[in-house]
Amino acid sequence: MRRLNLYALTFRLPIIVWQALFFIGPLIFVVAMSFFVVKNYRMVETFELESWAKMVSRDYVWSAYRYTILMAGGAAALATLLAFPAAWFLAFRCSARTRQAAILLLIIPFFTSYLVRTFSWYTLLAEAGVLNGALGVLGLGPYKLLNTAIGTLTGYLTLVLPLVVILQTVTMANIDARLIQAARNLGCSPARTIWTVILPAGKTGFVIAALFAFILCFGDFVAPFYLGGSNPPTLPILIIDTTKAGQQWPRAAVVAVMMMLTLFTIAFAAIMFAYRKRASR
Amino acid sequence: MTWFLRAYLLLVIGFIFLPIVVSLLFSFNSDRFPTLPFKAFTTVWYETIFADPDFWRAARNSLVVSGCTCVLATLLGFCTAYTDYRYSFRGKSLFLAIILLPPTIPLIIIALAMLAWFSRVGMSGQIVSIIAAHTVLTAPFAMAIIRLRLSQIDESLEAAAWNLGASEWMAMRNVILPFCKPAILSSLFLTAAVSFDEFTVAWFVSGLNKTLPVHVLEIVQGTIDPQVNAIGTLVFAISITLVAVSQALIFFRLQRSANRPTAAPT
Amino acid sequence: MTDPLVVLEDVEKRFDDSVAVRGANLTIGAGEFVAIMGPSGCGKTTTLRMLAGLDAPTGGEIRIAGRRMNDVPAHERDTPMVWQSLALFPFLNARENVEFGLKMRGVDPAARRDRAINWLDRMEIAEFAERNVETLSGGQRQRVALARALVTEPQLLLLDEPLSALDAHLVIRMQSVLTRLQRELGITFVYVTHSQSEAFAMADRVVIMSRGEIAQIGTPREVYRAPRTRFVAEFVGRNNILPGRVIACDAGTAIVETALGTFSVEGAATVGAAVSIVVSADMMQVGSPQNPIEATVISEEFVGSVVTAFLEAQDGTELKVQVQERALADLDLAGSTLTVGWSPGDGHLLVEEP
Repeated sequence: MRRLNLYALTFRLPIIVWQALFFIGPLIFVVAMSFFVVKNYRMVETFELESWAKMVSRDYVWSAYRYTILMAGGAAALATLLAFPAAWFLAFRCSARTRQAAILLLIIPFFTSYLVRTFSWYTLLAEAGVLNGALGVLGLGPYKLLNTAIGTLTGYLTLVLPLVVILQTVTMANIDARLIQAARNLGCSPARTIWTVILPAGKTGFVIAALFAFILCFGDFVAPFYLGGSNPPTLPILIIDTTKAGQQWPRAAVVAVMMMLTLFTIAFAAIMFAYRKRASR
Repeated sequence: MTWFLRAYLLLVIGFIFLPIVVSLLFSFNSDRFPTLPFKAFTTVWYETIFADPDFWRAARNSLVVSGCTCVLATLLGFCTAYTDYRYSFRGKSLFLAIILLPPTIPLIIIALAMLAWFSRVGMSGQIVSIIAAHTVLTAPFAMAIIRLRLSQIDESLEAAAWNLGASEWMAMRNVILPFCKPAILSSLFLTAAVSFDEFTVAWFVSGLNKTLPVHVLEIVQGTIDPQVNAIGTLVFAISITLVAVSQALIFFRLQRSANRPTAAPT
Repeated sequence: MTDPLVVLEDVEKRFDDSVAVRGANLTIGAGEFVAIMGPSGCGKTTTLRMLAGLDAPTGGEIRIAGRRMNDVPAHERDTPMVWQSLALFPFLNARENVEFGLKMRGVDPAARRDRAINWLDRMEIAEFAERNVETLSGGQRQRVALARALVTEPQLLLLDEPLSALDAHLVIRMQSVLTRLQRELGITFVYVTHSQSEAFAMADRVVIMSRGEIAQIGTPREVYRAPRTRFVAEFVGRNNILPGRVIACDAGTAIVETALGTFSVEGAATVGAAVSIVVSADMMQVGSPQNPIEATVISEEFVGSVVTAFLEAQDGTELKVQVQERALADLDLAGSTLTVGWSPGDGHLLVEEP
């Protein structure tokens, strides 16, 4: 029964084959493709640095790169801040029933069309849209919300805020309640308790939540495209433009590999930071 | 303080649900450009999409894709979960990584990779390509749900079946599968819902065989068209039903084991 | 004992980095009730699992009814087991649980239903046949588990601490159910337990295991009165163990010098050998003129009408004395100093292994 038999292999091999064909294969291929070249509208499988040289030397690539990191990082930070009071309430100040119900509500958006929600924001944020209409009644506006960074951030937050609230709630609910009680008994104010007890104890969870938010925003093209008006474009929009319009797949692959390398680096750094033991004082 | 936090939470949830509600409301508004105040109640947008053969083609494709994806993803997820539960072997963490990793990679990269790969291996623009890609994307969800269920099993249950004369296959059929049934059903609905909503990879891979979200994407790329609200509301209704059924299956199971009647005296 | 049903010959079981069982030799007769006992991790459960085919021995041979079983997979044996957790299938009702073994063997639905109901009836729980097993009480579940194991009418039933989850009063009840069943069916029971009272109450023979090896095999009485090793003497019951050295030996009587004095005890040993005198607590007498030792009572323990007094001799040796509660009426225990002793015939000479 210890030996590898037909039974055990039946449950193991199909997955390995499937993932190799449809996950590992494509990922490796996209890396390889970044070294291919396009000649006479045909992709030639070779090993040349042409696409890399072209993309790396372009200013618009680097400005898109900076802008994407800035926006995704900003959205992650914003989501972390905005989620905290809600998560704090769910973790410490409400009944288990309320918490369950709220988490259920927060899970629902994951399974609803992000695209439709974004379109909905589009109609809300438009210059003649619902939001400006409502503000107009109060004698304010109209404000330009669409095709700005505000539009992009609104879309990003729609995408990641529920996730960050859930992860932060779970993180704080798992902090040993006695720690918090002890801090309060020792005369810590609520604000000081958050700073000296909750943030350090939940560091791993907070960092992981922010990392997830960053990854999701970093790879999203819908919000910057429809709500930010591609102005300026982000890396995912660059990939779409080069693939769909330009037929320059190798150059798109270069951007994809740049994104992956960036994500690996940031994820690695974040995880190292999250799990690092606190320096003893 | 507490009431302030409560209000804040409602605000957050409101922000998240605002677009969903707005989309629902404006799908019945007669004004072509959605703005306040509402003009008149209409079902014209629904009639438009129902009369549109493109919509029906996309809907059919979506059904086929999510129907096949949920079965395949649940199958792969089950195999992984069972392997993780039952065996320990060298390279197991690598094995688990290759199935659990996809959700951490941006969809746009996966989409480009799939597009390039499928056209390289001669599978571009086919329904099966979308199904293959969606299976990779949703199998981790299936794995997580089923693994959770398996962690609740009494470990001697399977051995007890062998001990009573069941071969490994018979024990799988008569013990492991019945035990996992609620999780398997739940996984089917959940992966169907995820697949039904996915548009990035589907857009890159689908070619002419558009799915419903890709259809929406292409309408949105044109002009503002309240059709999108109508389709969005329909898609939302379908997804929410799938998720609700899935959640209910898990929840019902938990409730049943929590409220197990107290044992009668001997 | 009739023909041996189960034979273990030099059986060994190694896991990756440890040895669970080694050099196990054991013969179990048809219709015998054998209990395997020992502390946790002693290899008793592994031995049982090897009989069931759930673990394969890495050395030696296991034969059941004359057939070599080493490579026979679990599902091709008829060695049903009653599990510590009972391992009832939660998604099946009581009757379906009992039917499981028959279904796996391809018995047709009508026949297996009859046999299952029949067994549930025999276990006096037929009324719960269609009940979800999760709604049954501990004792009822126990009976379902027994019926499920016995429904195929095996020659050999394996039991892995089946009573450990039950309340004390139910344990006694189930013990009588088990012994009656075993006698009526005339089949072999191999019963793994860490509980001495269960083993001694039911088994024809007990096997004591320690660190993967069989330390002693014998009737409960033999093991209790004449432990072969110090481990057995300490593991089994309330034994007083007085280590010492043989200073003279003749005609089946040894004179042993211990920290508490010099005593004579039946048995043979070479002069100078390190030995122990073992006297079970119930053989100790208060106020005994023979082999008297003065000791102070430290604490007492009441179990029913029997009292165990724990005493400390002058040199710190702990002694245990078991007496009837009614014999205590005129004794003032706690803190008092008593003279205790035993008649030389009740002592047992234990030769320490080198």
